[in-house]
This record gives sequence, structure tokens and C-alpha cells, in this order.
Amino acid sequence: MRRPTDAERQEWEANGVLFLQNAIEGEDLSRLQATFDRCTAEARREWLEGIAKGTRPAAHFDIPKPLEKDDVFIDLIDYPGWYGFLMDFADEDLILLAPQVRTLPVSPISYVGWHPDVPHTTPLHMKVQIYIEDVPTDGGAFGYVPGSHKPNAGLCPVVRPLDSMPGHKVYPGKAGDAVLFNSYGWHTAMVNRTLKPRKSIILIYEKWSKDRILTDQFATIADKCTTPDRRRLFSLDER
Amino acid sequence: MPIIDSHLHVFEKLSAEFPREVNEQCPADRAETAEKLLEVMATNGVDQAVLTQIGGTQLVHHRYLQHCLKTYPNRFRGIGLIPRDKWDAPEDHMDRLAENGDIIGFRINEIGGPADPLSQMDVRTFTSYRIWKHAAKKNYVMWLYIRAKDAHQVAFMVQAFPEIRAVFNHLMICPGEGMFSWDDEGRPHINTPIPPLTRYSMLGLHEYPNICVHLSGQYAFSQEAWPYCDLEGWHKTLLSKFGADKLMWATDFPWILEDPGYDKLVQVIDELLPDLNAQQKAEIMEGTAKRVLGFPDVAD
Repeated sequence: MRRPTDAERQEWEANGVLFLQNAIEGEDLSRLQATFDRCTAEARREWLEGIAKGTRPAAHFDIPKPLEKDDVFIDLIDYPGWYGFLMDFADEDLILLAPQVRTLPVSPISYVGWHPDVPHTTPLHMKVQIYIEDVPTDGGAFGYVPGSHKPNAGLCPVVRPLDSMPGHKVYPGKAGDAVLFNSYGWHTAMVNRTLKPRKSIILIYEKWSKDRILTDQFATIADKCTTPDRRRLFSLDER
Repeated sequence: MPIIDSHLHVFEKLSAEFPREVNEQCPADRAETAEKLLEVMATNGVDQAVLTQIGGTQLVHHRYLQHCLKTYPNRFRGIGLIPRDKWDAPEDHMDRLAENGDIIGFRINEIGGPADPLSQMDVRTFTSYRIWKHAAKKNYVMWLYIRAKDAHQVAFMVQAFPEIRAVFNHLMICPGEGMFSWDDEGRPHINTPIPPLTRYSMLGLHEYPNICVHLSGQYAFSQEAWPYCDLEGWHKTLLSKFGADKLMWATDFPWILEDPGYDKLVQVIDELLPDLNAQQKAEIMEGTAKRVLGFPDVAD
């Protein structure tokens, strides 16, 4: 399992974001891509019905309960390509909040403007976005304002257009690349101006705090979490 | 402070002079006339209004709307409807309604592109394309109350015609299939999550300079009585994204006359956006509508 170097730790502290090249590759990536596509196809009809009723968003398509769909998604949660970074930054006390297995349709606008996810009163909150296929700069790539995770950053401004945000950086990537970021910082999905939907998986984590996740949240996959580390990560036991 | 009520409906009793469609909410003998509207507007300090066609899409169905616009030229602007069977060639219908200059735009509730957001999007194949194209050519306003299944298509059309002034009715909410009903008072009711999930397809439109949103229709979406506090957060979101100079207040008369009453709707912005400054309030209550829809000064 890879751990951050001192330089990476300094970059994390300064910018709130790290780009992890080839975080998942080879057979692991191929298996993930195939599973992503299969599960997406299986869930698509229900998604379209929900769009028509106004009960599901059309602007992004998340596979419901992905951890119950295939073990490949469970294995992502503590995958060596990023798990060591997360554990290090969370002082070895990390919990999973949720996975999002997400397809982002082509659109002239972003489905979400610049925003932080949580206030600084929340324990350290981190996300890993894994690109399942190549994501070019204009393909709905992840955007982040380095340094905006700091408490003195102020309020996130509303900007028009999206790419006029001062100081922002866009993170295109190849299939298997990942972006790890501090969710206090301002981030967005840039506009997908290509002809191809963006496929990515977003894993949401937090430094452990009491009662943040109930012990039954991930109970349906408890039989897949047999090690103490996994049981802690999935909040399966009282602490 | 001048006030413009930027979306409402008037209609006369069914007659040969003013033919219209009849339904349970608008039976033949029901009238909600311009004169009744003007009286309640005067009582509440409201100066002008946008009359949105109700009672049918055919040219003859617009006769009462046209009568009101002609009778009170400085008080009203009109929004027309287009028969569904004319969407593939709507130009003549639109121009005939707009020829006097007082019907300034057209209301539609569908965009007509692929229901699957993962499909390829070519606006030229959307069923409403020729309406948008002609609106762009003639500078007509698009009045939008879009169904949920079409929400993801709107941005493509706005991108194709960014010069069009488009006004999203009723809090930019897009009703879902099977979520529409009539309440006990004969008013539309929309069962929708708040904030609406269509927001992911809609809020980004704030980047386009000619997109406006109505602050109206609260009664139809709220689970609470006036002042509809469960919608406060959504009002604040719309304000923060679009700004007061893109928001327009409206009542949706006559549906609100009895509950909560027109006077309560005049106050609803104070209740749901209590931190507005005077300039923002003036924009929402009058300025945006006057500027975007071209209302004359009342004294003209």
C-alpha cells in the first residue's frame, strides 16, 4: 500500500488536492470498467423512470447501492492506490461515508457549481474521484481551487462562467487516474463539452467521529468485511 | 414602489365572443376578468401584470387575452400558447398573435428532445426547435414551465439560442409525470421534492445572461400554508445563483385569491427572502420584469 511522501504531504497541506496517476491499473482497472458498465446498464431503466417522475436527477446517474451490486466496488474502498493516503491524512482513523458510481451526461452546463461539501466544523472530509475512462479537460473533468480548503479562504463566490473561478485548476486524466481532495475546498465538475459521458467513481470518507455513521449503514455487506480494519472503515462496530 | 405581477391568468365566461376550452377548474360560467384583477391589483398597490393565456391554444381561444391587452394597453403584456399540432410550423401562429406587439412571448411545457440524457443531443431534432428558432428571429420571450423529463434538454436549447429571453415559471420547478393533481380548492398541486432534483439540470443556466426565474406558484409546491416556509431555502438558492436582477415576482392569480389571498402573495417575498435590500426587492417586484419584458411606464 502506497503512503504519501513528505513532498506529497506538503502538497496536500498547501493545496488540499493530490492527483494520483495510475492509481488503479491493469486487470483491476479492466474488471472495474466492465463492472461499471454492466451495473450502469442494469440500473438505467429505473433511472429514466425516476427522471420522468422528477424523483431522480437527469444531470448525473448514480448506480443505487453499488456496494451490494458487486464486490469490485467494496474492494475500491480500501484500494492500495489511495487508501494509504487517506489513512495517513486521517491519522489512521478513517470511515467511509458513501460511494458514488457516477455517469455524467454531456451538457452545456455543469450539474454543480463551485462549492465546498462541508464546513470546517466537520471532521476532515475527503473524496477520491477515480476516472473509469479517459477524461479530457473539456469532458467534465474535476476542478478544484488549490488552497481553498483553508479556514481563511472565505466564502465560495458565485462566478459566471464556471471557468472564470480565480485560481482554479482542472484535472483531466487517463482511465485509472484518481484525484484525492479535501472537501472543505471549492470544487466542481467542469462542463462536459465532448460527445461522451464522463464515467467516474467518487468515494467519500471522513476522519472518524462518534455516531457519524450508524453501525447498520453498511450491514448488508458485513460478511465481506472480516478484518478489523475493514470493520472500522465501514463502521460496523460500536466504538 | 411600483409592482409588476409577472404571471397570472384571466378568463371570461364562455361565449361566442370569447370562446375557450372548459374544464372542471374553468367551467363555462366562471369568470376571472381583467376588471376583477385590476381591482385587486389596485387594492394591493400592484401596477402592471403579465397575462398568460389559459383556456386553449387556438387563435380564437386568445380572443379574451387580446381584448384585455387592447383595452388596457399600458397595464398588461401577454403570453400566448401554440397548438401542439402546429409545433412543426409554428411561425404563422406566433406572428399572428404577436402582430400588435402586446403578446410578447409564448409558453411551452416541453422541449421535445431525447428522454435519455445519455443520448446524443441535436437541438434541430427537438420538437420545440422551430418555436425557439422563430422566437430568436422575432425577439419573442420563451415562457417555460418544463416537465421533469425534459429538464436536461433545456440547456442545449439555451446554448443554441442564447439571445432569447427565457423566463422559467414557478420557481424553475419542473413537474414530474404523475405528480400533478388538483387540490381541494381546485388549484394545481405538484408533488415534488424540495429542492427539486431537476436543479442539477437547471441551476447552471444562471451562466446565461437572458435567463430569468419566476418566484411564484408557491402554493402548488409547498406542504405548508402561507408563507410556505418549506420553500425558503429554495428561494435563497435561486437568489444566490441568479441574482435579484433575474428574478420576477408573480401571484398566479386567480388560483390564490381565496387561499391565501392576493394580499398575502404581495408579502410572500418579504417572508421568504427577509434579508433582501431595497434595491433587490425593487428588482424582484418590478425592475426585472419591466426591463426584460419591456413594460412601459404606467403613466404613458
